[in-house]
Amino acid sequence: MNETNELATRKENMLEKRVELPKIAPAVDIFENEDEILLHADMPGVTRENVTVNVDNGKLEISGIRNLQKKGNSTWQEFTDVEYRRVFAVPQTIVVSKVHAELKEGVLKLHLPKAEESKPRTIKISQL
Amino acid sequence: MWTRMNDFNRMLDAMDRLRSNLNRVYLDYDRSYGDEFGWRTQNGFPRTNLSESGDSFQLIAEVPGLTKDDLNIRIQGNYLELSGTRKSDAPKDYKAQRVERDTASFTRSFTLPSEVDADKIEAVLQDGLLSLSLPKAEAAKPKQISIS
Repeated sequence: MNETNELATRKENMLEKRVELPKIAPAVDIFENEDEILLHADMPGVTRENVTVNVDNGKLEISGIRNLQKKGNSTWQEFTDVEYRRVFAVPQTIVVSKVHAELKEGVLKLHLPKAEESKPRTIKISQL
Repeated sequence: MWTRMNDFNRMLDAMDRLRSNLNRVYLDYDRSYGDEFGWRTQNGFPRTNLSESGDSFQLIAEVPGLTKDDLNIRIQGNYLELSGTRKSDAPKDYKAQRVERDTASFTRSFTLPSEVDADKIEAVLQDGLLSLSLPKAEAAKPKQISIS
C-alpha cells in the first residue's frame, strides 16, 4: 500500500467514528525467544469484540475500545471510556497468518511466530 | 467589555486544546513506564470510579491481569480498603525486550460518603475491572416524605 492510499483509508475510518475517544497507549511487555515474539498489553475494561489487531507491511497496530457501563451520578472519576491504541514495528519475518491473540482479565496477549527460515541455525564446521 | 472577556476566554480554551493535543503527540511518540498512563495513578494505586444512585454506590477499579485470588476487599462502616498484588506473567525461557507493566502490591483505602451494608456487598471481576456494588445502610438510604 502506498502512502496516499493509507491516508485515504485513515480518513474513512475517522468518518465512521461517532465520538472521538481519548487515545491512550497501553503499557506493554515484550518477550522473545527463538520461535516467537510475545506481546502483553494492559487494556482493562476492553471486551473481546472491541479489540482489533492489524499486521500490515511491518507495522503491528493494536487497538481496544473501552465502553464503561454508567450507573447513577458520578462522585469521582479517575478513568473514562478510552481507545487503547499503539503501533509497533515488527520484523518482516513474522508469519502473519499464524499470529494469534487472547484476551484475559483485561490483558491482551499476542503471539507472533517467527518464520522457519529466520530462526538461528548452528553451522557445523566440516573436517577436511 | 463582555465581548472582550469572551474573546479572552476563547483564547484560553484554544490554549487548553493546544496543550491536550501536545500531550497526545508526546503519547504517540513514545511512552516510558512509570508515567500516569499505566493502569495505576502516580501514587501506585489503581484508578477508580465511584458513582452513587439512590440507595447504593458503585465502585469500579482498574486491575488488569489480576485474578480474584490476588485481590482483597475489606469494609467497615464507610471505610473501604482495597488491596492486591500483581504477579509477573512473564513466560519462562523468553528474553524480555521491554517491560512497562509493573508488578507490585498496592493498598488503597476510601471513605465512602455514607455507611454501607457490609453483608450485601457484591464484587465482580470482569475484563480487568473490579466492580463493587455497595448498598447503603438502612440509616443512610433516602426516605420518601409525604406532605400532609
